[in-house]
Amino acid sequence: MSTFPSFSKAPIIPHAIFDTSAVKMSLGHHADHMNHTMSSATPSSVHPPEHNHPTTSPEHNHEGGMMMMMDMTFHFSYKNVPLLFSGLVINTPGEMAGAFVAVFFLAMFYEGLKIARECLLRKSQVSIRYNSMPVPGPNGTILMETHKTVGQQMLSFPHLLQTVLHIIQVVVSYFLMLIFMTYNGYLCIAVAAGAGTGYFFFSWKKAVVVDITEHCH
Amino acid sequence: MGAGGGAAQPVPRAAPAQPRGGMMAMYFFFSDKTVLLFDFWNVHSPAGMALSVVVILLLAALYEVIKVTKGKLLHRTVLSVPTSISQESLEERDRASVNSERGQQNSTQKRWFLYHVSQTLLHVIQVVIGYLVMLAVMSYNTWIFLGVIVGSTVGYYVAYPLLKVR
Repeated sequence: MSTFPSFSKAPIIPHAIFDTSAVKMSLGHHADHMNHTMSSATPSSVHPPEHNHPTTSPEHNHEGGMMMMMDMTFHFSYKNVPLLFSGLVINTPGEMAGAFVAVFFLAMFYEGLKIARECLLRKSQVSIRYNSMPVPGPNGTILMETHKTVGQQMLSFPHLLQTVLHIIQVVVSYFLMLIFMTYNGYLCIAVAAGAGTGYFFFSWKKAVVVDITEHCH
Repeated sequence: MGAGGGAAQPVPRAAPAQPRGGMMAMYFFFSDKTVLLFDFWNVHSPAGMALSVVVILLLAALYEVIKVTKGKLLHRTVLSVPTSISQESLEERDRASVNSERGQQNSTQKRWFLYHVSQTLLHVIQVVIGYLVMLAVMSYNTWIFLGVIVGSTVGYYVAYPLLKVR
């Protein structure tokens, strides 16, 4: 509790500087340096102990950052970027590069998953149609089998698989949304580029699948 | 003016009007002051807010238009290509086809590729606009939100029949 006032004050001051400085966008790294010197200089009259550890101030920053530091405009920085989980904080260019690649592949995976689900759905529908085709011929009672009951449909393997894939899709899409919500330019570009690449490499499948079902009619 | 006019009156206005100070508003409010997406998009007048709402409205409408366009493009890709690639080309390859037909096949493949690339581009634009609109809504400004709703409605209403008919 005794540390609370010290870092409730620390994030506010750099943020005020951040907002008013117009050079923040392109000079994220530089501006961050400026913030360090400013934040260690400004409160030195109020909090002398903070001047002693300027190196620990970033850690203070991102601990307080979860509470109130939330950028509301786009920026390009690779310092102190929180990523979804409390342990994941980007602080170096290398980490940002890694996060970029990871987010890129996550977005690509999302696109692939979306199309794979669609593909599976069509396939199961087609197979159901094929199975049900010959059945109504011999008897009237077998109609029961062609139109499966709701319970059977729910318990069928394709439907369960679809449900599991749907869960994964929802989780991944929320993750991507939250990543975009960090307003970090690099991560946003990673999301968009991943989505584009994924669509490019997987959507031909979609076209082919649509084609198959069109022919089956 | 706000500071001199009494503490009780400006407080409810001032509190939501500065979500940029690190604290974001977590409920919808009416205000003509906000910061949207970029730090240069700083709105602080009714006229600016009206302009921003129009821009966001157009963005949301564009999203719908792109969505429908993409669907149409996919349909056209499917219609144009598989007849030439999946049926003809497979048969033609077995017969070691003539050069002119091969050239034709090349051109259809090229066209398919063009369709595919443009579809991908549209998809990227759609994803980006979708996220931008989401972030704009996240400013919790009611005017912006209404702009998004109206834009989406108009876009869907206009684009869907317009692009389906052709």
